[in-house]
Amino acid sequence: MKKTIPQTNRRKFLLGAGLGTAGVAAAIATRSPLATKQAEVAPEPAQQEGYRASPHILKYYKTTEV
Amino acid sequence: MSAVASPVQVHRPLPPEEAARGDLYALLARLLVGPPDDALLGHLAAAERLPGDGALARAWAGLVDASKAMDADAAAEEYEQLFVGMGQSPVSIYAASYASAGSVDHPRVRIQRDLAALGLGRPATVTEPEDHLGGLLEAMRVLVKGGAGREPASLEEQKRFHEAHLAAAWPGFAAALGAAREANYYRHVAALCAAFAALEAESFKLD
Repeated sequence: MKKTIPQTNRRKFLLGAGLGTAGVAAAIATRSPLATKQAEVAPEPAQQEGYRASPHILKYYKTTEV
Repeated sequence: MSAVASPVQVHRPLPPEEAARGDLYALLARLLVGPPDDALLGHLAAAERLPGDGALARAWAGLVDASKAMDADAAAEEYEQLFVGMGQSPVSIYAASYASAGSVDHPRVRIQRDLAALGLGRPATVTEPEDHLGGLLEAMRVLVKGGAGREPASLEEQKRFHEAHLAAAWPGFAAALGAAREANYYRHVAALCAAFAALEAESFKLD
């Protein structure tokens, strides 16, 4: 027997806002791998490498130069 | 061939509205980590409308329409002008710029601590600080949909992380981005960000 999902207030609210349709998922299904490579939150590495220079960080250093 | 017994894992599918939340977090994270490429613009341009005429549906329609008129080069230039640029960028992409100082710890320290408690952390290949909004939205995606070696988090865990690190920051970020003179395509990203942030804040209050 198929189990139905209870219609909580939260669920009604989200479905009413348009979430749950295929539109968003279809657009994202083939998103660039950059997102998963660069921004995926992975398990904590055993050894931290520390921060390295990125465009934002280099720019920050630039603004602190006297 | 060796037969190694491995435990069978049963993944319960997420309800569609929860999956859509995860997808929206993924999309916004992607658009904040870097500019959209032609493939992503093409998929957005071809995306279906959301039903209704609420704030989220209108913002989504705006982004879909803008994606039809945008190309990757122009998006890359706009992203650079908005978030990188020379000197101080017009819009900060870091949560610490928008959150009030309510603790002695820097927001990045608190984010590191809370991510670690959830069994998460920044991959060694990522150079951005933890309060990069793209990273925080990506963390929410993992909490909502699972991934990075973990199952979806409970709604209570999602709510706690959202309230601690995003709730105060991303509406301010969306407002700043929407008002930036340099924003064209990203005005629509800002509108989607604002609408989704409001939706999340409201939905977390409901049972």
